[in-house]
Amino acid sequence: MKTVPALRAYAITWAALLALLALTFALAHLRLGAFNAVASLVIAAVKAALVALFFMHLRRGRALLVLFALVAPFALAILFALSGADYITREVHPAPWAAPHGR
Amino acid sequence: MSAAPREIDAGARGELDPRAWRAETASLGMWVFLATELMFFGGLFLAYLYLRTHDPEGVAAASVHTHEWLGTINTAILLTSSFAMALAVHAAKQARRKAAQRLLVVTAAFGLAFLAVKGIEYGLEWRDGLVPGLHFTLAQNTRTATLFFFLYFVATGIHAVHLAIGVLTVLWIAWRLRAAALPDWRVDEIDVLGLYWHFVDAIWIFLYPLFYLVNLNA
Amino acid sequence: MSYLEEGFTLRSWLTTRDHKRIGILYAVAITVFFFLGGAAAAIIRLELLTPQGDLVSADTYNKLFTIHGVVMVWFFLIPSIPSTLGNFLLPMMIGAREVAFPRLNIVSWYIYVLGATFTVGAVIAGGVDTGWTFYTPLSTLFSNTHVVAAVMGVFIVGFSSILTGLNFIVTVHRMRAPGMTWFRMPLFVWANYATSLILVLATPVLAMTLLLLAAERLLHVGIFDPALGGDPLLFQHLFWFYSHPAVYIMVLPAMGVVSEIITCFARKRIFGYKFMCYAILGIAGFGFLVWGHHMFVSGQSAYAGMVFSMLSFMVAVPSAIKVFNWTATLYKGSIELTAPMLYALGFVGLFTIGGMTGLYLAAIALDVHLTDTYFVIAHFHYIMVGGSVMAYLGGIHFWWPKITGRLYSEAWGRVAAITIFAGFNLTFFPQYLLGFLGMPRRYHSYPPEFQLLNVLSSAGAAVLAVGYLLPLVYLGWSLFLGKRAPPNPWQARGLEWKTASPPPKENFHETPEVDAVPYAYDPEEKLA
Repeated sequence: MKTVPALRAYAITWAALLALLALTFALAHLRLGAFNAVASLVIAAVKAALVALFFMHLRRGRALLVLFALVAPFALAILFALSGADYITREVHPAPWAAPHGR
Repeated sequence: MSAAPREIDAGARGELDPRAWRAETASLGMWVFLATELMFFGGLFLAYLYLRTHDPEGVAAASVHTHEWLGTINTAILLTSSFAMALAVHAAKQARRKAAQRLLVVTAAFGLAFLAVKGIEYGLEWRDGLVPGLHFTLAQNTRTATLFFFLYFVATGIHAVHLAIGVLTVLWIAWRLRAAALPDWRVDEIDVLGLYWHFVDAIWIFLYPLFYLVNLNA
Repeated sequence: MSYLEEGFTLRSWLTTRDHKRIGILYAVAITVFFFLGGAAAAIIRLELLTPQGDLVSADTYNKLFTIHGVVMVWFFLIPSIPSTLGNFLLPMMIGAREVAFPRLNIVSWYIYVLGATFTVGAVIAGGVDTGWTFYTPLSTLFSNTHVVAAVMGVFIVGFSSILTGLNFIVTVHRMRAPGMTWFRMPLFVWANYATSLILVLATPVLAMTLLLLAAERLLHVGIFDPALGGDPLLFQHLFWFYSHPAVYIMVLPAMGVVSEIITCFARKRIFGYKFMCYAILGIAGFGFLVWGHHMFVSGQSAYAGMVFSMLSFMVAVPSAIKVFNWTATLYKGSIELTAPMLYALGFVGLFTIGGMTGLYLAAIALDVHLTDTYFVIAHFHYIMVGGSVMAYLGGIHFWWPKITGRLYSEAWGRVAAITIFAGFNLTFFPQYLLGFLGMPRRYHSYPPEFQLLNVLSSAGAAVLAVGYLLPLVYLGWSLFLGKRAPPNPWQARGLEWKTASPPPKENFHETPEVDAVPYAYDPEEKLA
């Protein structure tokens, strides 16, 4: 990688990361209901992707490296999805003496 | 690695440049290690997902007790440390030893700043009685709040341990760089250390919204 | 000069970076643990001779089956083939001099020893009684035994697994000799590669789970505690997300060994080589999707149960493909019933039985009746003992001349193999019947009508014990008094047989170049 374009790429990435941080912080103060959580996670994913692509050089990495970088998130997705399949389809019968809703 | 480069990976594509081979092999090794680290944190994320989906109001109520300004400042610090680390790796690849050394020290300094702020936060949380199992005095919303802070301390604590190990390693390599030479294998070491550092940053990028940004709009 | 002659001091062994010596260090360590776990099993089988719980107390019995499970799973089976035969052979089979990260390799052995120390410490300090599965809330809130020490031992040894897996993955990707393309690699390498993928992806989840368990136990606060709104099933999801793929860690390398042995002693190319490769990857991949079949009656939702049940049926398919292909390899082969071959054939039969009973358990309606009974115990012992342990022993015998430079007594080898086969079936087949009849697991007493089958099982265990002790004797004897082995006593194919027995430190004097398909055997050619 040539010097100047590389340094510029890093600096732009850093600036973008800080901008996204400001954005996510600001959005969190707005009342957006369920969208708050979605927005904050999407922004986090974008930030992580920027770190991976530019700081960790995945953008010019070999296909194998990209594959390795994606395998663990994929395995976690399986963990969340199938455990989630249990949680969203479970019928919960709160015991009569339990306080309402987990407090 | 002890294998002579002549013999390797030529089965696949005849790539025989020892320098490139070494660097890519080290990189592959670190990416595999980072995959294991992501799986390690993954269990915590599932536990968090469980709690957040089972009692969203409870989690929202508990999360107001985190210090979002300190968390946000810390996120900025860590992102900047990654910038410094990327510059350090770049300098090393260009054989600019002194520049690499200075940038590594800057990286470590930002890392230490993060840990210092974290320490202050933990101190405030102890003062406020938010440490489950040791000193937890929150009056209302105790069940979910207990679990929320349990996960908070475990997640940020393990993250902090990873960061501390990173800081120590960065300082150690910066120290070793005071010698005149910057051999190829040292450049590879700095490269993979950079990968580790950025990964620790990426984990924090997710921990931050999960623990600090849950309920700022009440 | 062979790798064995590069230094005779203990220090030269304890500071080695030679993958071959590290394989031997692991072999010694896991053998010690095999007999420790076996001793626990011996006491269990003695207790179960009579219906009353009269040999040991219920608490002691709980500690015995716990330590049997913990030791056999984590300190014997998981490292067995990968860390011993895998470490020794994998670089040689791809024509490499070493693994990618030799220093990490010896560090992984020391981590194993450290983890083992914690676990042995837990045993000596009084044991653990939660079962090897450490289910909450027993392990976190109620057990009065040394749970944290035991769990720390397992946590630590997990990193040994992770480092071994990491090393193998990078080695296979980056260190193959010229001409050694992926589809020219022996199936043993494919199997250990796929196993390594599981090692690196699944083990860290166990590590976090055990950490959370220890934290909950120490702080009396945690995410598995229902009184706090936590979920005991969260523990089970996290635990089994690792522990189901773990069983494939235990069986895939065994399948790799079996492929090597069967091709050699049928003098025939493996049937369907590419399908075998895809089946290996399929088992590893699918193995991540089925963990909920351990939780059908735990309170998991019935709908999730159905999904896991269906996926569990599907995971049997690649295994079945492998069994068909081994059988087709044997067909019209020129079969030689050497000791390794006896073990490999035993594997194929016993793994098939064990695998099919897994399908019974995958059917939720049957599992409701059979879960937590001796049926489950018989099922997994057919696979792990009738399968993996036999394949491990087969591999040890097959590569013994290569590793030690000595020939063992083939007659005694066959005697031991047949003794083990007979003892194994006598021990574990009655347990299928006991489970079907309703005898629960993890109880030290049982209704008197189950006694006959239990006595048969314990008698079988005695025979099995003799069978396992025999190799210690004749293999040990061969180390000092056995005939010297030629480079290729079995006329096998594979790069490891092209070098001396035992090999030189750098494995090959010249880098091999590969231009042949794997398993280029010819049934017309008889073993000399």
